[in-house]
Amino acid sequence: MNRGPADTGPTLTTLLRLAVTGGRVDLMRIMLTVIGAAAATIGLLTAATVASIGASDGPYGLTVLNEPGLRPGVIIVLLLLCVPILSFVGQCVRVGAPARDRRLAAFRMAGGTPSNVRGIVAIETGLAATAGGVVGVGVYAVLHAVLRHPPPRHPVLPGQIETGAVAGAPILPTDVWPTWWLLVLASALVPLGATVASLVAMRRITVSPFGVLHRHSHRPPATLPAVLFTVGVAGLVLWGSVAERLGLTDEGPGAFGAVALLLFVMAVVGLVFGTAALAYQIGRWLAPRAGHPALLIASRRLVDAPFTASRASSVVVLAVMLGSAVQGTRADFLVITDPTETFYRDTFTLLNIVLAVGVAMAVAGLLVTAVEGVITRRRTLAALAASGTPRRVLGEAVLLETVVPLAPAILLAAAAGLFAARGLFGTAGGVRQGIGGRSSQVAVPVPWTDLGILAGGTLAAVCLVTAVSLLFLRRSTDLRELRAAA
Amino acid sequence: MTTAMPSAGPHAAPPTTALSARSLVVSYGHTPALRGVSLDVARGEILAVTGPSGSGKSTLLLCLAGILVPDVGEVGFGDRCISAESEASRSRLRRGEFGVLFQFGQLVPELTAAENVALPLLLAGCRRKAAITAAHTWLERFGVDELASAQPSSMSGGQAQRVAVARALVSEPEVLFADEPTGAMDTLAGEKVMAELVRVARQAGTTVVLVTHDAGIASYGDREVHVRDGLLDEAPRVTATHVASGAR
Repeated sequence: MNRGPADTGPTLTTLLRLAVTGGRVDLMRIMLTVIGAAAATIGLLTAATVASIGASDGPYGLTVLNEPGLRPGVIIVLLLLCVPILSFVGQCVRVGAPARDRRLAAFRMAGGTPSNVRGIVAIETGLAATAGGVVGVGVYAVLHAVLRHPPPRHPVLPGQIETGAVAGAPILPTDVWPTWWLLVLASALVPLGATVASLVAMRRITVSPFGVLHRHSHRPPATLPAVLFTVGVAGLVLWGSVAERLGLTDEGPGAFGAVALLLFVMAVVGLVFGTAALAYQIGRWLAPRAGHPALLIASRRLVDAPFTASRASSVVVLAVMLGSAVQGTRADFLVITDPTETFYRDTFTLLNIVLAVGVAMAVAGLLVTAVEGVITRRRTLAALAASGTPRRVLGEAVLLETVVPLAPAILLAAAAGLFAARGLFGTAGGVRQGIGGRSSQVAVPVPWTDLGILAGGTLAAVCLVTAVSLLFLRRSTDLRELRAAA
Repeated sequence: MTTAMPSAGPHAAPPTTALSARSLVVSYGHTPALRGVSLDVARGEILAVTGPSGSGKSTLLLCLAGILVPDVGEVGFGDRCISAESEASRSRLRRGEFGVLFQFGQLVPELTAAENVALPLLLAGCRRKAAITAAHTWLERFGVDELASAQPSSMSGGQAQRVAVARALVSEPEVLFADEPTGAMDTLAGEKVMAELVRVARQAGTTVVLVTHDAGIASYGDREVHVRDGLLDEAPRVTATHVASGAR
């Protein structure tokens, strides 16, 4: 057969066409990736905008932005908000993986090479993330234009705090555009990151003409994260009093803050990577004791694939730990600051809103993981249903697999965040009684209500999204899946 | 809730009949799978259903097992009309009176062999210790007791299918439905599994409906019916191949 002068493989156009070919599930994956990438790009552009606020810009209705010293904190919060969003994108690119795997295997059977397959996956993810990036830049630009009005300059009157809200000032820094290099970086980061991540993920996958082999590690999760978490939290609890005895707290935030940040990062890394170890240990303890079929299936799943659930749940746990630390810090600030001064109250309210968005994104990622888990295991589920296993039992197994490791992890995260805040800022604050009055120590209350809302609300949201994922269970246990298996 | 079969009608099943199908019609979209199939299966009988791919033999098994409700027609089990019963009722039937065996996919990959076999008993409310003990007995009966703690991924196709057979029989069902039970195995392993399945079924008096396209596997049946283009082509015969070999 004449194959032309040189067999150079499929052209980019062919790969492009193959990348965007697929069914409804593939379309859903692409749409979710676009939405997630757009949200992440908006988050990054917002952080870039705050980073670009100059000395002559402002003031703003969002008073925290008027304090140059607090802006790095705002940028860190916005970047942290991108973590659950990027995790959501990471979960989205896995949606419909089995159908895509079959398509890729068929492509290999038709003569496609492994590098062609990697190209198709990278193009699909890269295109979707680029589209998301473009949408994100577009939405950002529209919001920037819509919310913008000239920042009126009011003279600062004697006695007026300059950093406070100024009447008529724009709430957000809509008079500022990110510097060109930050704009390029923030716009390109998500598409590039998603493309690279998809290529890295393909290293664990072998696409052959006969199917797709996912290389899973069967090593139990390491215990190092547990050590990191314990050392980090214990350090945070003790560091406040240790630093005070060493006189470090009097020398400014430098050394004190650096060690506190290091300990906090250790605790966070330990918790995020430790959720898989926690799930594994819980499953290993439960599995030989479980008498209920749903609990047995769930606990064995935790032992067999502890990283599956932890991929998404670690972000939920991270959000809860940060949220708990914020609530503990807020309780301290509300005690030691003037009740008539609304700056800190408003700032913490803003932080709570950001946290709520973060938890929502993290839980959305969990929904994608739960749905994907049900769809991936559809053959086994269909066979179990056919042999008389009630769908209720299968649904309970899915629910337990998510909730059993996550409930203690959320409690642990909430406790860790609170201990960290109370360890760093103390359990009592000095309050001055009137102008020129004596300072007295007042106990900082434990914000039980706020913590309850945070932990309970997150757990309720997790249960809700897992319940939503069960809507896919009926379809996954459908007879047609059984016929496909047979 | 169970629904009784009309006892006085022309389609009433005789007392020795375990299963009966009357004028079954099933279509997948515009594609007909069964076009008016009627069939009786006697108690303790091993019935082989054969036919080419896409002939409708698996659909017939799914209807008889209460997994699929026919568009037209009735399926009876004893004096019950199971095709008229609810999904939950048919599920209970498959957990108790029926055992179902497929070519692959029926073992839960994360559970050990013993837990897989114990699963139907746990679903029936049996305590874990008793269920696991019973599972070990059944695994031993099929010669795979040493795999009790192993997961399906570490077993060969034949070993996994023996575990699946043990699971299908652990609740001592009245009827076992097997759809290409040896399809994923080599001939020798398939013969061994079939010999053991038939031996255990004979001992317990279990009725077996066996769907296969393999003439060798079909020869384990007392009777063979052939499905072609959704219609039954029954050729009564008595297989002698495995009588002499002691399989029955």
